[in-house]
Amino acid sequence: MTIAVLLKQVPDTTAKISVNGGRVDENAVSKWSFSPYDEYALEAALQLKESAGGDLVAITAGPARCEKLLRDAAAVGADTLVHVSAENINDLDSTQVQNLLAAAVQKSGASVIFCGKQAADTNAGSTGPGVAELIGASCVTLVSEVSSDGSEYTATRPSSAGHEKVAVSAPCVFALDKGITEMRRPNVRGIMMAKKKPIETWSVDDLGIDIGATGVSIDSHSPPAEKPPGQKFEGAESVSTVVGKLRDEANVI
Amino acid sequence: MECTIIAETSGNSIHPITAQLVGAASSLGAVPTVVVPGGIGAEDAASIDGVSKVVSVVGDCFSTFDGGAWASAISPQCSGVVIAGATSIGREVASRVAAKKGIPIIQDATGLASGITITRPIYSGKAVETSTVSGDCVITLRANAFDAAGSGGSASVNVVDQSADVSIAVKEAISKASERLDVSEADIIISGGRGIGQKENFSHLDEVADLIGAAVGASRAVVDEWGMPHSMQVGQTGKTVTPSLYIAVGISGAIQHLAGMRSSKYIVAINKDPDAPIFGVADYGIVATWEEAVPALKSALAAL
Amino acid sequence: MPYEALDFYDVDSLLTDEERMVRDMVRDFVDEEVIPKIEHACRDGVFPDEWRVALGEMGVLGAPLEGYDCPGLSYTAYGVICRELERGDSGLRSFASVQGSLAMYPIWDFGSEEQKQHYLPKMASGEWIGCFGLTEPDYGSNPGDMITKAEDMGDYYLLNGAKMWITNGTIAQLAVVWAKLDGVIRGFIVEKDDPGFSAPEMKGKHSLKASVTSELVFQDCKIPKDRILPGVKGLRGPFSCLNNARYGISWGAVGAAQACFDSAKDYALSRIQFTHPIASYQLVQNKLAWMLREITKAQLLAYHLGQKKDAGTWIPEHISLAKMNNVDIALEIAREARDIHGANGILDEYCIMRHMANLESVKTYEGTHDIHNLILGRHITGIQAFTREL
Ligand SMILES: Cc1cc2nc3c(=O)[nH]c(=O)nc-3n(C[C@H](O)[C@H](O)[C@H](O)COP(=O)(O)OP(=O)(O)OC[C@H]3O[C@@H](n4cnc5c(N)ncnc54)[C@H](O)[C@@H]3O)c2cc1C
Ligand SMILES: Cc1cc2nc3c(=O)[nH]c(=O)nc-3n(C[C@H](O)[C@H](O)[C@H](O)COP(=O)(O)OP(=O)(O)OC[C@H]3O[C@@H](n4cnc5c(N)ncnc54)[C@H](O)[C@@H]3O)c2cc1C
Repeated sequence: MTIAVLLKQVPDTTAKISVNGGRVDENAVSKWSFSPYDEYALEAALQLKESAGGDLVAITAGPARCEKLLRDAAAVGADTLVHVSAENINDLDSTQVQNLLAAAVQKSGASVIFCGKQAADTNAGSTGPGVAELIGASCVTLVSEVSSDGSEYTATRPSSAGHEKVAVSAPCVFALDKGITEMRRPNVRGIMMAKKKPIETWSVDDLGIDIGATGVSIDSHSPPAEKPPGQKFEGAESVSTVVGKLRDEANVI
Repeated sequence: MECTIIAETSGNSIHPITAQLVGAASSLGAVPTVVVPGGIGAEDAASIDGVSKVVSVVGDCFSTFDGGAWASAISPQCSGVVIAGATSIGREVASRVAAKKGIPIIQDATGLASGITITRPIYSGKAVETSTVSGDCVITLRANAFDAAGSGGSASVNVVDQSADVSIAVKEAISKASERLDVSEADIIISGGRGIGQKENFSHLDEVADLIGAAVGASRAVVDEWGMPHSMQVGQTGKTVTPSLYIAVGISGAIQHLAGMRSSKYIVAINKDPDAPIFGVADYGIVATWEEAVPALKSALAAL
Repeated sequence: MPYEALDFYDVDSLLTDEERMVRDMVRDFVDEEVIPKIEHACRDGVFPDEWRVALGEMGVLGAPLEGYDCPGLSYTAYGVICRELERGDSGLRSFASVQGSLAMYPIWDFGSEEQKQHYLPKMASGEWIGCFGLTEPDYGSNPGDMITKAEDMGDYYLLNGAKMWITNGTIAQLAVVWAKLDGVIRGFIVEKDDPGFSAPEMKGKHSLKASVTSELVFQDCKIPKDRILPGVKGLRGPFSCLNNARYGISWGAVGAAQACFDSAKDYALSRIQFTHPIASYQLVQNKLAWMLREITKAQLLAYHLGQKKDAGTWIPEHISLAKMNNVDIALEIAREARDIHGANGILDEYCIMRHMANLESVKTYEGTHDIHNLILGRHITGIQAFTREL
């Protein structure tokens, strides 16, 4: 069995984001990391590999800097490293990205695919279900745990009553929420092995697909609107006004 | 502009975000068709102002959530620009519909203008992206970012019988763990300080927290003096938190406390002393006693 | 929140990818497992056993040693590990220094093949802890005059004497002990249960509280003949070990200094006196600028020394300079940082006073500050000034 995990490199969630000339300045990003939910995806994939056996392929699409991510994945146990080269990943629309990843998954031969429920840069959450659609797989999202009895896969996901365990068969995609175990720490042996592991770089041509032109053009990036200065209200009567503002102005409830 | 809205349901009725989706579509000059997965609340949808028609898609597949199956069943009814709510179900079904149709999806939009120009926060709100889509596309909208359309419409409801193969089987329900969220993970935190008077009064904060899925935090003064768990402590020697919303109740705002919460996106302070330093970092300050303000908060949140 | 280290000149960009991965691994461990627990460990005066386990699992013990299940990393990587550990606490770094440079290294370099195979794998995994017995109650800076002695009794050696200030002593399964055999310093491996050997803990330290410090007592201690380190005679044995440990300290001190700088910077920005943050006053900025300057120099020194270690172009005096300088500035930075924190600086809620107290030991052990001055003085002038006899 081949298991794939789709990993995205994003600015570390603590990194400052600065906008330069109408675009987020990637060169100014001090630290790139795994998108946090992808770490849970990787850990869940490693656990499945350990319990059910198989080969774990780590796949990332993006520019050359993403290779670091693959090495980090190898250091904790990914067997095969695939870099789908896409220098301009952020200019591609969702359809193009999903086509790249779906083609890479198919080329890798994986039938069980893990990814994060959303990536920390756009917080979109389109990739898991989108890739599932393109490869004709089932998809369970917001998953916290995955196990296998050899034929079926059981995933835990939230439900209106709390949580539920659902069963699916391969091919299937699991989009991980915060899982039950944090991603393991690597060790020196893993790091040394990761260094030697080859990275397969697949271009669009290698994948034999045509991803067409983007349907979405990015006009600009801008810093978020300045928060208005703090407002102060007198008396408990103002509570409902504040709650209204939290909903409509701040959009946080 | 041709436009389809995928309605969001909640329990036995339509979810209020649906009216916001219609409102957003109307602002673009569209008179949308509303597709209701599973048909729940189709009549409610028909009464939203500005809806041209409602398509109620009914089938066995809607009894279990399988985004793939739902998308297969409703996709034939979706055309033009497809709009859904950026909820967990909305996002997944919308992604599937987009992939099926081979059109792009943009999630979590907070602004729309004709063109279509879409604004959305990126990098957890540290930047905003404006983009333009030329052809058909799928867009999900953030809840409460758009004005809701009114009610009073009377669109027709077409019922379409359409199911699809469900590939997800529910094996076991696990009831909700009563365990409260940890402050370091929560998106909303309500914290209490010495101004709350005594440990028992934290139950009022618990009630608010239950309403909005928040975690409950505390200042060090109450952790030390009333023996609240240290895991609740926010501040320099407690947790450093960055939720979207931090509500400080009866907390003065000592620098060691601020050190742990000042990077929260929005801060609400409830304190009876108008000169309390916490007001210096609050986006919304309420000068009132908690005895009056917290019940008011509870009822205002419950009314949302 | 992942830690972002002060690195003004981007010195870490000179590291290899592998070295950076090791750095991130250890940094993560320190953030998640050490910093939240260190104050407790200090109050209780214990070295938490789970740190031993974690260091073993990460595979960083004996970092630059090759073979026998040892990590086989570069000396630069070893330095980076020390730096990251000491940002947590000097006691943690001491544990790793002693295990790797003072206990594993002499076995690796001077041990017999059997000794290497027997001891090194379980020391690399952290299963066995080692310690290093050189200092005696009456012989610190001057170990050459040590009085602990070994006698060849035909089918065993008999050890008599005492060692003092021995890091890890009480918790160790083995001690590498330097003693005189027929007047010549030799290394011996003493195991915990050897008859006549005991290792009582020394209590009452105001420094390195999360590190175990012990006496080693040998009263007609009998050890088998195959426990002598065959490969070295004289002071070269212990000094080779010390060179490696001191090298690690030159990096470690940078970690402690970074921690103090970070805390001072944050505090200065948030502490308001006379209606403005104290960081806005020139006197405070001067202190912070000085810290930045010294840390940056220390980083460059440590890195370049690491390159020389890896290239084999170093001399012991290079190490003396880096150990002395970097510990010295770290201690001074801790003191300045303490000052910036005002009264808060004396509390164990802030890391400052702990680092400051720790660094006092670091200044003394592995060759005191002034002993390194004397080493450099001898190097410059060709005249040794350790003793009055010329
Ligand atoms: C080294 C160090 C580390 C520290 N670390 C932390 C830390 O991690 N976290 C932390 O929180 N503190 C920390 N502190 C303590 C901090 O300095 C403050 O003492 C503490 O935050 C005060 O807690 P408080 O705001 O709950 O209490 P107080 O400062 O006593 O404030 C109580 C507030 O409640 C208001 N109030 C009273 N009655 C009412 C009412 N009926 N309705 C509404 N408001 C009312 C008052 O106006 C007042 O503003 C630390 C201190 C030190 C020295
Ligand atoms: C926490 C801790 C852990 C330790 N761990 C170990 C360990 O694991 N193994 C081990 O063997 N040892 C260990 N030591 C001992 C350490 O190496 C010695 O303390 C150190 O070598 C200094 O010896 P001393 O303390 O006897 O000081 P002394 O040698 O007595 O020095 C006292 C002072 O005199 C100065 N001085 C000495 N000689 C001269 C001179 N010729 N000219 C000018 N000034 C001079 C010194 O610089 C110092 O300022 C440890 C010490 C500490 C504090």
